[in-house]
Amino acid sequence: MLRATRGQQQGQATKRSWNVVVFSIGGIKLAARTEDVGGVSPWTESIPVPSRTPFVQAMLKRDNHVMPVYDLAARLSCTVQGSPLLCLMARHVDGPMAICIDADVPFLETVDATAIRPNGRGDIESYGSVTIDETDVAIVALQRLGQSRQDAVKS
Amino acid sequence: MSLRACHNSTKIHVETASFLVVRLGDSYVALPADGVRGILTQDEAGHEQAVTAAGTIYQPVDLAERLSVVADLSGLESRTVLYSTGHSHGAIRVAQVVGLTDVEPKDCLPLPLQFQRDERNWFGGMMLYQDQLVLILNPSWALGELADVVPASVGQSERMVAATSKAVGGSC
Repeated sequence: MLRATRGQQQGQATKRSWNVVVFSIGGIKLAARTEDVGGVSPWTESIPVPSRTPFVQAMLKRDNHVMPVYDLAARLSCTVQGSPLLCLMARHVDGPMAICIDADVPFLETVDATAIRPNGRGDIESYGSVTIDETDVAIVALQRLGQSRQDAVKS
Repeated sequence: MSLRACHNSTKIHVETASFLVVRLGDSYVALPADGVRGILTQDEAGHEQAVTAAGTIYQPVDLAERLSVVADLSGLESRTVLYSTGHSHGAIRVAQVVGLTDVEPKDCLPLPLQFQRDERNWFGGMMLYQDQLVLILNPSWALGELADVVPASVGQSERMVAATSKAVGGSC
């Protein structure tokens, strides 16, 4: 009983704050929930794949594992910056997916859930946006990237 | 009774599927080998639109164009693969014939679900060959037996992939 209550309190505490990974693409600061991120590693050359799915036209090979690449930079109409570029591994509902991001090393940030506001931009699946270092940062819903819907914040 | 008999009884037979691996530009594509009827050089294929071999007419298939792949098909290594599904016959021009390989089912991988559109009709799966990612072509689509349809739902696509896998020997 007591344990259950603690669990509920823990759940509420989790809802009060979100841990996010802040990264950038084409100089645009973005964030993703830490649980949606599988890791960050150096970017390696992707393999083009004939495809008509928007922004999914390549794959990345790591050892004997292959994963699709989501071209988030193209979707945001920008170009990744810096060298060496980095690979953010997204935990997508359909399986792991690689995203090429700027060379700026991502950092962790804890944000108050009440500070997350609905995102005005409809160009990307997001949970909303938050202000980090005086910059408006969209929290990208990596799990649903490419499914063309925006999820409103439920506080 | 004997050790040999015991050893023989545990022998496992693994079925494999054979594929001809070809290159088109930067893409590597595998064709189920049982449909390959011949491989011709440019000189052998000639410059006619269709190729006639052993009494069968193989209509030209511009696979590079169908896949929207930029490929130089005029190089010394370019070949024309004569291919038949039994219903259709096509002469497929490729930049290079890379090799022939036998693949176990466990080494055939489905196309990731993030690929959601026509490409699910184009490819029955993928595999690694000589450290290269190779896409397993659906010959029925390549030879025009399947039209490019409107993007199928993933469920529909999975059924198509299952059908394709069956067509390529049930290996994927």
